[in-house]
Amino acid sequence: MKAAAAARSPWRDPVIWLAVPAIVYLLVLYALPLLWLLTKSFIGPGGFTLRPYIDFFADPFNWRVVWNTLGIALWVTLACLIVGYPAAFALARAGAALQIAMLIAIILPLSIGVVVKAFAWQIVLRRDGVVSQLLVAVGIWDEPQRLLFTEPGLVLGAANIFLPFMILPIYSVVKLIDPRLLEAGATLGAAPLYRFVKIMVPLTLPGVVSGVAFVFSMSVSMYVVPSLLIGDRFQTLSTLTGRSFLFMRNEQLGSTTAVILLAMAVGVVVGSTWLARRLGGST
Amino acid sequence: MNFLDVSGATKSFGAATVLDGVDLGVGQGEFVSLLGPSGCGKTTLLRIVAGLLGVDRGTVKLDGQDITALPPHKRDVGVVFQNYALFPHLTVAENVAFGLKARRRGSTETASAVKRFLELVHLSDFADRSVRALSGGQQQRVAVARALAVRPKLLLLDEPFSALDRKLREGMQIDLRRLLRELGTTSVFVTHDQDEALTMSDRIAVMNKGGIEQLDTPEAIYRKPATAFALEFVGLSSRLSGKVVGTQDGLVTVETSFGRLVAPGNFVSGAPVMLAVRPERITVDRPGDFAVTAKLRDAVFQGAKVQLHFETTGGDQLMAETADLPHGLPAPGSEMKLGWAVADTLIYPVP
Repeated sequence: MKAAAAARSPWRDPVIWLAVPAIVYLLVLYALPLLWLLTKSFIGPGGFTLRPYIDFFADPFNWRVVWNTLGIALWVTLACLIVGYPAAFALARAGAALQIAMLIAIILPLSIGVVVKAFAWQIVLRRDGVVSQLLVAVGIWDEPQRLLFTEPGLVLGAANIFLPFMILPIYSVVKLIDPRLLEAGATLGAAPLYRFVKIMVPLTLPGVVSGVAFVFSMSVSMYVVPSLLIGDRFQTLSTLTGRSFLFMRNEQLGSTTAVILLAMAVGVVVGSTWLARRLGGST
Repeated sequence: MNFLDVSGATKSFGAATVLDGVDLGVGQGEFVSLLGPSGCGKTTLLRIVAGLLGVDRGTVKLDGQDITALPPHKRDVGVVFQNYALFPHLTVAENVAFGLKARRRGSTETASAVKRFLELVHLSDFADRSVRALSGGQQQRVAVARALAVRPKLLLLDEPFSALDRKLREGMQIDLRRLLRELGTTSVFVTHDQDEALTMSDRIAVMNKGGIEQLDTPEAIYRKPATAFALEFVGLSSRLSGKVVGTQDGLVTVETSFGRLVAPGNFVSGAPVMLAVRPERITVDRPGDFAVTAKLRDAVFQGAKVQLHFETTGGDQLMAETADLPHGLPAPGSEMKLGWAVADTLIYPVP
């Protein structure tokens, strides 16, 4: 009864006011600067203008930057999904002791700064680094090669850094799925692959969507990791934004690229959520 | 030739032996209950038959085929799970259709089977609802329809009524039993509820500590429990311990705290035994083959009948049930004459 009343008028429920400090905090420190950035990109010397955007998209170099940004973010997200999805299952079904060990292994690296991890990857990805030596030892490579300052190297490093943000949301969903659902599927005559596709995939979809949204929005906007692992040769929207503000002192270009980046990230996150709703609803 | 034939099924988890060489035969179209307390191995046996659990030793045969090594999806054995395990992302109709689609049946065949089984469980109006919006009883019926829609050779039910309240449960037991009889589905039913087992079963397997103590019709299990465990687990009884003082022509005379009583059986003199009588076989104020006098401790009014508990010594228990008390409820402390027949007296060795 009480819940139904609250659903009709959310403002009657006093619990809603507990969100006020967080909202004020975000409003002052996040929404207002963002609004300032947004207006900056639309205001030229003569008032409102779309000039910065037209100029931006007229330059083929900038298109390269956009594709670089999207491409790296997609590869990183894909790599995290491929590695993280099975890991989330293992984590959810592991015994208590193993589960704690795995959670520590996943969460502890988050306490190490991104800069530190990126520097560590610089060492790992060198010509005489661990990855190169391993690939030579296994026989995939004939001679040591440098992965540092290459796109695969960047994807490898970034995927490692963002992996927890893929595993944890999927894990939290898998943990809540009754293992008997798969048994029920089996007793109804469904083979293992059919059970996975028709039962596990739709039920884990919400976790996959949040994981993808996390990792994509973080990797589409990452700044330190590409700076350290691939350098100036390979520009992304966020490194370009940084350069515009810090080196070129071109605030208009910087705010324009920042807005484009934001629009892309929001578009992908909202789009994937909408897609998941649709898929989950119709099956 | 049994339709389902489990022989020598043995299963251990670590040091604990959960099933110890169980044999179980179920005829075609039969409804057999596995009845026992929690931890007796009944659910383990069900999971082994379903293929959700492997055996350490022993074989499972269904319809003449050895299915011991077959994975569950190739066994044609349906299961209604205790928590129903309905697919939360699917509607009622999609849940029922799941097995048919997994078996790649045609869409017309699937649609007509879904329609038919939803009608059989009276859920046609709920076809497009989410299963999450259903009550417990409705969810249970979806689970039954889903398991039956593929027409499995064998249906296993794991305490499907345990989450429902008593009134609802009794109606659904009768409905389910009728449905399974109409379809001719061979069923194995796991329960810890003796009333449920007695009401529904063709035969009951009373299980204890990883083994079957007795496999027989409900009537035989109630009237002639094979072991003291079966006696205690199914129904109520008076229990008097004593010592055999004489044995003659298949009759044993036992010295108890209520004097010398006689029971059919064969025991050596001096053996410690327990005598038992079902409460409704004891008559009040009307002597049977013998009569004892006992002091009333409690009279419990239960509507259709009255349960009388009498004072005893040691671990003994003496109780009678009667619907016929012309003078109303007797007062505690009053002396009453009780009688029963030798043929109704059960006797068990005391370990």
